[in-house]
Amino acid sequence: MPILEIKDLKAGIAGREILRGVNLTIAPGEVHAIMGPNGSGKSTLAQVLAGRDTYVVTGGEVRLNGRDLLELSPEERACEGLFLAFQYPVEIPGVSTSYFLKAALNAVRKYHGEPELDAMDFLKLMKQKMKLLDMDASFLSRAVNEGFSGGEKKRNEILQMAVLDPKLAILDETDSGLDIDALRIVAGGVNSLRGPDRGILLVTHYQRLLNYIVPDYVHVLRDGQIIKSGDKNLALELEARGYGWLEEPAAAH
Amino acid sequence: MTQLMSNTSYLQGLLATGPNSSTPGPDWLQARREEARQQWLRAGLPTNTDEQWRFTDLSLLAETSFSIRHSAAAMAADGRPAGSDGAELVLINGKFSVQASRLPPAPVRVACLDQASGAELATFENLLGAQARPAHHGLIALNTANFSDVVLVEVPGGVAVEQPLNLVVHSVGAEPFASYPRILLKVGDNSSVTVVFSFTGPDNLTYLTNSVLETYVGAGSRVELVKIQREGTSSLHIGSDYAHLDKDVRFQSLSLNQGGLLVRNNVTVTLAGPGSEATLNGLSMTAGRQHVDNHTMLDHARDHCASHELYKSLLAGRSSGTFTGKILVRPGSQKTDAKQTSKSVLLSGQASMNSQPQLEIYADDVKCTHGSTNGPLDEEQLFYLRARGLAYNQARAMLTVAFAADVLARVWQPALRGTLEDLVVAELHRLEREEF
Repeated sequence: MPILEIKDLKAGIAGREILRGVNLTIAPGEVHAIMGPNGSGKSTLAQVLAGRDTYVVTGGEVRLNGRDLLELSPEERACEGLFLAFQYPVEIPGVSTSYFLKAALNAVRKYHGEPELDAMDFLKLMKQKMKLLDMDASFLSRAVNEGFSGGEKKRNEILQMAVLDPKLAILDETDSGLDIDALRIVAGGVNSLRGPDRGILLVTHYQRLLNYIVPDYVHVLRDGQIIKSGDKNLALELEARGYGWLEEPAAAH
Repeated sequence: MTQLMSNTSYLQGLLATGPNSSTPGPDWLQARREEARQQWLRAGLPTNTDEQWRFTDLSLLAETSFSIRHSAAAMAADGRPAGSDGAELVLINGKFSVQASRLPPAPVRVACLDQASGAELATFENLLGAQARPAHHGLIALNTANFSDVVLVEVPGGVAVEQPLNLVVHSVGAEPFASYPRILLKVGDNSSVTVVFSFTGPDNLTYLTNSVLETYVGAGSRVELVKIQREGTSSLHIGSDYAHLDKDVRFQSLSLNQGGLLVRNNVTVTLAGPGSEATLNGLSMTAGRQHVDNHTMLDHARDHCASHELYKSLLAGRSSGTFTGKILVRPGSQKTDAKQTSKSVLLSGQASMNSQPQLEIYADDVKCTHGSTNGPLDEEQLFYLRARGLAYNQARAMLTVAFAADVLARVWQPALRGTLEDLVVAELHRLEREEF
């Protein structure tokens, strides 16, 4: 059974249709990349999958491990194993990173009928995961994303992903705003989370990220539809030729 | 109702008379009380036409006939906060109860006007009403005319009081009544102390607590006042707190409001010596039809002083709030640095908040800033938390607690900070359960 199955998904905001029939299937172990020019609907797709209610779904269906995703609340989707790494991680003053992550992890565990982790076990887990991302322990006592640099915010997203251990990870423009060192660390974190049971969906504007996280499939989203799919070579072709040459085949379809 | 609020027989009716009024006392006291009575009869209750009372309607007060309770005999066992083992002074309906109190160890002194004589009586004469003048508003006049007793807490110079002093103000009764707590706090030079004032009373009963506190802080001292207002659900609470700061003082107050139906906190601080710093903090958590009005006045009477204000409100249900921050920078008060912030979260569509700065600046080399934000919880933050698996209500609770966190973080005493955090978290869970 595929981890994610999107069929003819249509969604928009305030009466404007942004996704105009998206089809995509991700099987366990696969890494997919969605590329596309600005305004093509990449981030909308990521947000709709995570349950952001500013977008209205007007058609189609989405299944996560066979379960109807669209009827679930954002927290239920998270507990069912969907994780969105935000393009713009939100600052939450007054909430420490460790308090937040412990609450999140225990919410997911509770959902699955597992016992909550106590402070000691949680700290042990955190230390192990933070090592993966070359993060300092002082991270934990800082308020969530408050005053973090761009790189720190993105690393924090991947840390959360590592701790919550999702079945499907959606990374929305995770490479944006990262210098090459930070990109390497973040990509290393993501690669270490690749596995036979997990699906990963990379949403990105540039091919650069795909040098570090090599996808199994690449899709091009344009005007709310996937107009071309291929393997990693498609990304290289896009890098070399831009998005313009894809116009024609799209019209012929 | 506005007419009634200035009707003579109505005003007469609220004055203490006959055997119930406190012992006549010395001449100066009788004269001050008489002046207050006359002022009350002239001014009556403030109404909405008074700019300083625009957002708080006292007609509820005028609708109820209150008896004055002087008796300290009845003592509700339940209203007492449990577990505090430091010094605790207990006032019941404005009267100091020696039996219910645990007096602080020397050199902190506690005295009552009723039993004062000699030098102690002179202290009362010097301090009582020197800041809280009947002419300020009718409720000061009414308190001065009606108080049953005055409690004086005195920290001599050069003393660091380690444990917070607790002062518990209970209102006890079964029918509508009014009480008029009156407290003096005198801190000598180069001392430090934290005083926690807790106000409690019965739920579902219309009663009035009209309290006046006058604090005098000597040069170089460090004083923190925490007010925990947990009055009954149908009560009216008017608190008028004054503080007079000599030079090089560090003064901080926190006004924590969760009880009461109609609440007005007047906080007036005079920076009377150079180099002093006053920090006024507030946190209000309201639901139902509660109304909490925080009205602050910072009088920068001298140069090189700083003031910081941070007032926060979390409003659920149909509750409403007001924050007014007046800053007066007098001529010659150069290098004044005044910062004022008011932030509110409206937890329901029916809740409302008014914030208004009032700056009067008569010096040219000063820095005064103010800012205010009112609105619902941040949707982006809520979604972020939910996208990590936290249930809607859990995410909201986390954000409301976080919103309150920086006010509580300012509390100096670590143990007290912990106690207050627990209290606030419990209160916010109550708001969460009651209504969103």
